[in-house]
Amino acid sequence: MKYESQSVAMLYFIAAIGLFVGQILFGVILGLQYVMGDFLFPEIPFNVARMVHTNLLIVWLLFGFMGAAYYLVPEESERELFSPMLAKIMFWIFLAAGALTILGYLLVPYATLAEITMNDLLPTMGREFLEQPTITKIGIVIVALAFVFNIGMTILTGRKTVISLVLLTGLVGLAVFFLFSFYVPDNLVLDKYFWWFVVHLWVEGVWELIMASLLAYVLIKVTGVDREVIEKWLYIIIAMALISGILGTGHHFFWIGTPGYWLWIGSIFSALEPIPFFMMTLFAFNVVNKRRRDHPNKAATLWALGTAVMAFLGAGVWGFLHTLAPVNFYTHGTQITAAHGHMAFYGAYVMVVLTIISYSMPIMRGQKAGNATAQIVEMWSFWLMTVSMVFITLFLTGAGILQVYLQRYSDTPMGFMATQEKLELFYWMREGAGVIFLIGLILYVTSFFVKGKEVVLLEDRVEAGA
Amino acid sequence: MTSVPENELQLKQASNAAMASLLNLTILPVISFMALVLIYKKTEPGTIGHYHAILGLKVNVIAATVLFLVSALMILLGGFNSPWTWVYVISYFTIVHTLFIVIALWALVRAWSGDRLRSD
Amino acid sequence: MRETFTKGMARNIYYGGSVFFLLVLLGLPVDTVQGLPKTDNSENLTEEVAAGKRLWEINDCIGCHTLLGEGAYFAPELGNVYTRFGESTEAIKAFIKSRPVDGIAGRRSMPQFNFSDQELEEIAQFLKYADGIKISKDWPPNIQG
Repeated sequence: MKYESQSVAMLYFIAAIGLFVGQILFGVILGLQYVMGDFLFPEIPFNVARMVHTNLLIVWLLFGFMGAAYYLVPEESERELFSPMLAKIMFWIFLAAGALTILGYLLVPYATLAEITMNDLLPTMGREFLEQPTITKIGIVIVALAFVFNIGMTILTGRKTVISLVLLTGLVGLAVFFLFSFYVPDNLVLDKYFWWFVVHLWVEGVWELIMASLLAYVLIKVTGVDREVIEKWLYIIIAMALISGILGTGHHFFWIGTPGYWLWIGSIFSALEPIPFFMMTLFAFNVVNKRRRDHPNKAATLWALGTAVMAFLGAGVWGFLHTLAPVNFYTHGTQITAAHGHMAFYGAYVMVVLTIISYSMPIMRGQKAGNATAQIVEMWSFWLMTVSMVFITLFLTGAGILQVYLQRYSDTPMGFMATQEKLELFYWMREGAGVIFLIGLILYVTSFFVKGKEVVLLEDRVEAGA
Repeated sequence: MTSVPENELQLKQASNAAMASLLNLTILPVISFMALVLIYKKTEPGTIGHYHAILGLKVNVIAATVLFLVSALMILLGGFNSPWTWVYVISYFTIVHTLFIVIALWALVRAWSGDRLRSD
Repeated sequence: MRETFTKGMARNIYYGGSVFFLLVLLGLPVDTVQGLPKTDNSENLTEEVAAGKRLWEINDCIGCHTLLGEGAYFAPELGNVYTRFGESTEAIKAFIKSRPVDGIAGRRSMPQFNFSDQELEEIAQFLKYADGIKISKDWPPNIQG
């Protein structure tokens, strides 16, 4: 670690991993509720558990992004963080706000939570992923602004690199687009239309900038490949991400009462959306193949390659699978969407955060890389989580195809609940894969505490050939 | 890396062959395969260009067999009008197709650096 | 990547491409929003419907159901529930009202929200309004949603 203030990232990463565990526990509960409908009813109904599951995901990814920025920016800018104190204060505010919100979901009925937090003054609650009470949303804005200010001041007064500027653009975009969450018109079509300005422009827009810059940073560190080469890739990847992703928003405007031209715009541009992920895989493979050193942190390299491949698979391939309007006509709002959502979030965002944690945690703990045993345990957890996520996705895809056929495609369509009973086998298998994911996660947490032999530092590779 | 430096032409042939293989698996099927055959004919045995052309041909022939033959078998055995047929065919095709794309991607970056698929 | 393709070119594609498409994205909503009155059923957007939408939100209905295909996939689509229930707001109200407090053994069940008659009417009117939104290609494909 070159700069003292980078260590604030540790707080953020610990919180992120803790909340990740919570998210997966609720995921397992939800999976069980799919097959045992009365499980924990009425104490924790499905909608509450789902809110906890998705909100914890968003919050811990934000913790991960913030931690990543606090770690990476001082080093890139070649100066200490503008204000480590502000970073610490914001951490505790964000953690408290997040914890209180989750407790609110669990301890009182949602309508009561809306009443306590005076949702009537500025109603923003009750929309998917943006269920947080208005006051929490205001808190998120304050934390995000303080964070962007802190990071921005560090970058702008220090060395400006492409990686840090792209990261900053992504983070500013994240903060700006979140503001649409305060606009909740009575008109349902308008409501849905602008809701996507948060959700889509986050995950299929500015978050991709954050992801690409984090991946580029770790790849520079572990491969030693020339920064110029990496930056060129980074530019072209994020260019494709935004060129395809911005108008790709249109694939959400097929069936919400918006004009018909969105069927064309949405289909064409979202069909291009796999390209940036495809290039990310090509990029990661290429720089690892051309690496100039064998970094002792093998686990971080594995995570970096893994996130590139899994993002391509989950966001790229599984997104493309149901994005064209004629296909989406049948698949919209079925288990196919759930399948895509799981693998895309895991492959792109979960894994990129775990990549930077994997790279930076040992350094913040005073080592170049985790000890040999710890790395083996971590790599086991990589494979357990990744393979089980592939199976979760496959089972949900199977369920989705069957659902589409029985409920929508067939000449004698079955009702929703009758169809769900036919999918039970898939849901059981998904739950099994989910439990294995949880085991993988427990192993992941364990890897931070495992003792073992220090890894030997290898010499930089001798440059050969070209 | 351990490989001997290849001359420009061979590197270009290797890259083109790997690219044609990848394109055949993704957005330009059939046409890219014909291009790959043409590239293969121009290469000299023993060169890295030849190696990647053959690799590309192998990957694509295997991919075509594994993807279409198995899918066709599933449809034949399962019946065109059974939902279960489509559950298997679509899931199978998507995941296996992607695996081949990932292999072709790795082959492409290896071709760019003038290496074989596996380092010796 | 080839040496002829420089970092500067990549950067320009990034800046040019994203600014261009961001402008298009900012421009298109103007057209979309202006065209909406033809499809968005806003002529039936009464105060009662707006109150129903608020109830829909503060009870987190989207956490189980989909509405026009968006939401959770645990419970039926409600964008066409008015049609599915025989174009009867009474049937919708009766369904919501009759949910058992302790659920149904072994099965998924909607919670009992203890809505007043006034609230039930608002929610039913909101769902009726949602059903009236004119959607491209008449989605969902059939009455089952």
